[in-house]
Amino acid sequence: MIGFLHGFALGSYLVACIAVIRTLAGGRADLPRGTLPFIVAGVLAHLGALAAYTTRYGELPLVGLGPSLSTLAALIGLGLITAALLREVRPVSLVLLPMMGVLLTAALLVGVKPSNAEMQFRGVWFVAHVFFAFVAYASLAIAFAAGLLYLLQFRALKDKNFGRSFRFFPSLETLDRLGHRALLTGWPSLTIALVLGWAWTVRFLQSLATENPQVIWGVVTWLIFASAIIARLGGAGRERRGALVSVFGFVVVVIAWFVLRLAMAGGQVFL
Amino acid sequence: MSLTLIGLSHHTAPLSVREEFAGRVQAGQHSLADAIAAGRVREAVLLSTCNRTELYISSDEVLDNAALIELLPHAPGVPHDTIAQYVYIHHGIGVAEHLLRVVSSLDSMILGEPQIQGQVRSAYESARKLQGDRRLVGPVLSRLFDIALRVGARVRSETQLGVGAASIPSAAVELARKIFGSLKERRALILGTGEMSEIAFECLADEGAHTTVVSRTPERARELADRRAGAAVAIHEFAPLLPHADIVVTATAAPHAVITRELVERVMPRGAREPLLIVDIALPRDVEAEVGELPNIFLYNLDDLHQVIEGTLQKRRAELPIAEAIIAEGAAEFANWYRSLEVVPLIRELRERAEETRASEFDKAMRALRHLSAEDRAVVESLTRQLTAKLLHKPTVRLRDAATHAETTSIVDAARYLFEMKERDQENNDR
Repeated sequence: MIGFLHGFALGSYLVACIAVIRTLAGGRADLPRGTLPFIVAGVLAHLGALAAYTTRYGELPLVGLGPSLSTLAALIGLGLITAALLREVRPVSLVLLPMMGVLLTAALLVGVKPSNAEMQFRGVWFVAHVFFAFVAYASLAIAFAAGLLYLLQFRALKDKNFGRSFRFFPSLETLDRLGHRALLTGWPSLTIALVLGWAWTVRFLQSLATENPQVIWGVVTWLIFASAIIARLGGAGRERRGALVSVFGFVVVVIAWFVLRLAMAGGQVFL
Repeated sequence: MSLTLIGLSHHTAPLSVREEFAGRVQAGQHSLADAIAAGRVREAVLLSTCNRTELYISSDEVLDNAALIELLPHAPGVPHDTIAQYVYIHHGIGVAEHLLRVVSSLDSMILGEPQIQGQVRSAYESARKLQGDRRLVGPVLSRLFDIALRVGARVRSETQLGVGAASIPSAAVELARKIFGSLKERRALILGTGEMSEIAFECLADEGAHTTVVSRTPERARELADRRAGAAVAIHEFAPLLPHADIVVTATAAPHAVITRELVERVMPRGAREPLLIVDIALPRDVEAEVGELPNIFLYNLDDLHQVIEGTLQKRRAELPIAEAIIAEGAAEFANWYRSLEVVPLIRELRERAEETRASEFDKAMRALRHLSAEDRAVVESLTRQLTAKLLHKPTVRLRDAATHAETTSIVDAARYLFEMKERDQENNDR
């Protein structure tokens, strides 16, 4: 059941992604009517797969690479649906759907199954910590998508290139608003996640665990959120600056994940 | 029965000729009501826009060209020979095919323009209203226009024919929307009070922008601004407003640049805080090209707007096959229904003939069966009615089916031959 629902979700994302790419390639302004229902069906199946995982293994899919990637992809999907309720921001699915597809494919390749790792940090504290962290990373992904489309649309407008992307992409204002809201959602979420993690560590381990790769990754991401929000605060071209930092910051977070994962000491549970 | 269209449009007649036909709807409808009262036509719808005047007619007989030209409302004194040079005439299914193309804006001057659908609806609604004691439309034109409006709505919703900007003001508004999303509450400066400035002013006011008109003649600026509760300033006062503007549209007659890079850098020394859209629709240009190189400033001139329009039209042309397919479906639906009308008189005649025969044979039989009670007579009469109905049921259904295909004429003729009914031409001669 877990595999079937994941497969269904992946198939739905793929079909929706093809529809979005065809819309862009065809120079059309609006997505075909069936695209959003496909995305919704995919996300529902995805959530169903995660619920089935929880029922089967008796734990939330928050630990281990496969379950974590799958959960992150589902949260990005939920963010996409929320954004897609505003019709004009649906083109961000051009970035988010492939991202969800890649995350889910990676999750399926490594296997969506419990890691069986020994963990000290468990219970409600842990669930809240991981949930808020995932919301933050999903928000950063949405800010990245909005920022990327903003920069492309900005370039198209500046270069007077009134082609397919000009017609398909939303207005600069819409993309800026979406990116800003994603940052304003993600930053407090990550702050809560980090505070919960540190509070637990200090209380139960009497240490700040600053050498822990997860903590380093979390702090790097928190700084990137802060930079993107500060970049938008004032001065000429603040929207474009905010978009640049969101895009660049997301890339840094992804690279940092690979570097830290490769550098991490064996036996630790890290995304 | 005949369905005919006579009309002229931007394809066939210059503006000077079209003017002779435009704006005569009221008088035209009265004369059409008279023609219906006199029995010359059964139904009529008059469509009159600045680009076309078309008269859709359903009549018992095929009207000759002279009669059709007479019915087409036009200015007095225009010779029929002159009109004949510019009009086109369609008959039968061709009328439906033409109307469906018109309502879908495939026949419009600007492909995909949105007004035509409302204009067709308005012409139809107007014909449905009472003209004196009668309406101009009946079953044939009602069916035709209902299908046409449905097809027009489908083309609009299922294709991208109506998407994008296809005129200079709408291209400017589209560019503004791509930067700002909604233009509501945006601050716009309109430089100049000429025709293009007026159109831009109206467009931006329609979108909810706060507009300020800038002119060398403050009285003229005030006059234009007052139309839509805008503000007005003299040209030498506009520079301080520039840093607070979101949109600037310039269309002055100045022989030199009104907005220079030096001016922009002077009033915005730290650059444009928010994106600033400048649309220069003046010739010669009002804005130095170097202004467009400044960060956060988007500068477009007439050539750029034409590029937006051409992109839109290209996209719309790419949608034509989808629109044509929808139109073909609508035309086929009307054609099927319209052809079925051809067999209605035959079916009616067939049933009348059968009823006459049944009644006569029943009377004969009853004269020989006088001993039957009233109940028994009723049973026998019911039997004859049922037999007749059952025998005619299949041929009736088959005739209606056949009428929806092209071979209607041969089947109708075969039915007339089989049931020994008069040919239509002979029937007309007898009348």
